[in-house]
Amino acid sequence: MTRNRLYLLLSLGLLAGYGWLIWASWQTTHYSDFTPCFFKNATGIACPSCGVTRSVLQVSHGHITEAILLNPLGLIMAAIMITAPFWLLYDVILKKDTLYTSYKKTEQLIRIKWVAIILIILILINWVWNIQKGL
Amino acid sequence: MDSQKVDMYLMSNAKFFQPSQLAYVRERLLAADESKWMYIQSADLKDPTTILIVSILAGNIGIDRFLVGDTGLGVAKLLTCGGFGIWAIIDWFLIMDITRQKNLEKLQAYL
Repeated sequence: MTRNRLYLLLSLGLLAGYGWLIWASWQTTHYSDFTPCFFKNATGIACPSCGVTRSVLQVSHGHITEAILLNPLGLIMAAIMITAPFWLLYDVILKKDTLYTSYKKTEQLIRIKWVAIILIILILINWVWNIQKGL
Repeated sequence: MDSQKVDMYLMSNAKFFQPSQLAYVRERLLAADESKWMYIQSADLKDPTTILIVSILAGNIGIDRFLVGDTGLGVAKLLTCGGFGIWAIIDWFLIMDITRQKNLEKLQAYL
């Protein structure tokens, strides 16, 4: 993956993410009915990241505790969505690649075996919690 | 390397690479040194069909991207539930070629 490709993908993802958030905050009444998640639609069971939208919306209203109780991954998502646009602009305007190098470093960190195992276990625990909450 | 060895390698490993790149792979293998043979044979190539099956079954949580080696994109896919499901479907069509591309990159490290 090259730098420009990553930045293009990230900006498209951010656009889609913000668009989705705005749409979701307008359609709060439709919440329980509509979900774009195929896994949930197909099986009826929540997936590991179900509830992230609701969690991010809680963060945007300042309810951090509710956000963690809904889905802790929402906090990570919110942090990425807040910091990424500024970081992206900084890199693009100044023609640097700080975001790209830290992306590569994070990738390498996640690939270390014990880090990966811990993360997988955390995701699995979160998934079990999601299913138990019935998101 | 002698052409018999290279052709044998290509015959048994053709499915791991894009058809258009096979000529290039053959050329580079022929030019490679005999001492690289062990490394080339032990290169951890991923079967595109297996990855496609994984992508169809578990693409929503990004397992296919993790297997291929795109850890960062895998995390992104996991966090967004397969990119709202759309990215997961797009990947059903892209993942085989991505796998072949990654295989070539792995082999290139030894050539």
